[in-house]
Amino acid sequence: MAEKVSASFRDPSGFMFKRDGEFYRQVNQSYKADYDLFISSGLYQHLSKAKALIPHQEAELDFSPSPDKAYKIIKPLQLGFISYPYEWCFNQYKDAAILTLSIARRALEYGMVLKDASAYNIQFHEGRPIFIDTLSFEAYKEGLPWVAYKQFCQHFLAPLALMAKTDIRLLGLMRNYIDGIPLDLAAALLPKSTKLNLGLATHIHLHARSQQKYANQKLSQKELTGKISKQALYNLIDSLLTVVRSLKVETIMTEWSDYYQDNNYTESSFEAKRDLVTGFVKQVNPQTVWDLGGNTGEFSRCASDLEIPTISFDIDPGAVQQNYTIVKAEKEKFMLPLLMDLTNPSPAIGWHNQERDVLKERGPADLIMALALIHHMAIANNVPLRDVARSFAELGEYLLIEFVPKQDSQVIRLLSSRLDIFPDYNPEGFKQAFSEYYIILDEKPVTGSERMMFLMKKK
Amino acid sequence: MTQLFSFLIKPQQYLDPGSGSLIVQIVLGVILGAGVAVRVFWKQIKNFFTGKKATDADFDPTEIDPDEIIDIPEEQKNK
Repeated sequence: MAEKVSASFRDPSGFMFKRDGEFYRQVNQSYKADYDLFISSGLYQHLSKAKALIPHQEAELDFSPSPDKAYKIIKPLQLGFISYPYEWCFNQYKDAAILTLSIARRALEYGMVLKDASAYNIQFHEGRPIFIDTLSFEAYKEGLPWVAYKQFCQHFLAPLALMAKTDIRLLGLMRNYIDGIPLDLAAALLPKSTKLNLGLATHIHLHARSQQKYANQKLSQKELTGKISKQALYNLIDSLLTVVRSLKVETIMTEWSDYYQDNNYTESSFEAKRDLVTGFVKQVNPQTVWDLGGNTGEFSRCASDLEIPTISFDIDPGAVQQNYTIVKAEKEKFMLPLLMDLTNPSPAIGWHNQERDVLKERGPADLIMALALIHHMAIANNVPLRDVARSFAELGEYLLIEFVPKQDSQVIRLLSSRLDIFPDYNPEGFKQAFSEYYIILDEKPVTGSERMMFLMKKK
Repeated sequence: MTQLFSFLIKPQQYLDPGSGSLIVQIVLGVILGAGVAVRVFWKQIKNFFTGKKATDADFDPTEIDPDEIIDIPEEQKNK
């Protein structure tokens, strides 16, 4: 029956629930006036037409798990995959921030404000960011400040500034802080030169100091009303847009050849591998594909080019960003590049460890691809082969996996400075370990290398 | 504290905006007003001289693309 989504509890305007495997949103009576204004003003039409906001249809009221509070039930467009901000590359995050601010500004034109600016209000759909919180809009009241300004700075500006100015790896702080990076922490970690940047000096440094100063102070109604005009709000949003747009992390577009030449591939053997992968994908004919360790998406595109929704996970933010740059340039609709360290994937976080899910809870996919990956897990990370098999089996029904043997230059490199403690790391040991969880359907050599490609199906 | 913020707290306002963040907006309202005016003016001067077209920096994701074929769900078409 109907089951509330555990992450959706903070906003009294409504909540998400699931029914027969599909997501719905309840609009509570308390939100009626704002929802009606959202529709009647034309803001909903505008944003959904611009593909900035997730479109929805109205559904039957009796679907609701708490009908006494319900005003309406709406059914949003169902998304293929839920991703989280700490899984985005810098440019995806930046685009999500720009979208949020643009929506806030557009809403003002229609007489409404965005009442929250959480990074979790954005998802990726058909390659681009989309705003999913339909209940985030409320009527604009003249003179009032922007309630969501602090949240925007913590969820968007702080992580973006830290990635651009301090270290790209600081994205990981978003996993630790469920409501965005505290501004005093961001201020402490940013280089002092950022105090000379008007945007960061005001929205991070000054903002952090102000938060500390007024933490325990009461503000009288008189002090706050009428101080912020609508124009001032426009200026605030424009200022944030300017600073966000100015933050950059360079996308280094490496030639695929740089990577593949290091690994004994000639161009023809690369093409042969592409054909091999495409052939196997066509054979499985999956509805969804997850490419683990997809790098810049070269082989992920064997699936997405066939219009199969494909997620390309990689540990390297530079590779994910390259992939995303291609997605944007080519306006691809079936590719979603995401950041993921498969030896330490996204944890379940938030209240009761149930607000943000682990990868396997967000699956399964029909086909998992694991090309040029197994040696990173089994050799570099000492994960026993059968544990890799067990883990992959939890993610998807079919597996396309490339076994990289010890003679391969990559494995030689990995073993060059350590003891070879992997007696079972060979084709027979590999097949035996994976046969515990899979049936091996096919096995083909990867021309131009010593590697072998296996197609397997979960037992 | 709740009484002081009663004008802000309505059923749908569940976020704690933080007093410091509200103060900053008042302060910035003054500073930024001038800044935005200068920036817009400067951009107009630059565009006049260089005849520049809209760059990536000017891209607004909430702008409706007239050329794109739009798919609106049935229920919304009559609204």
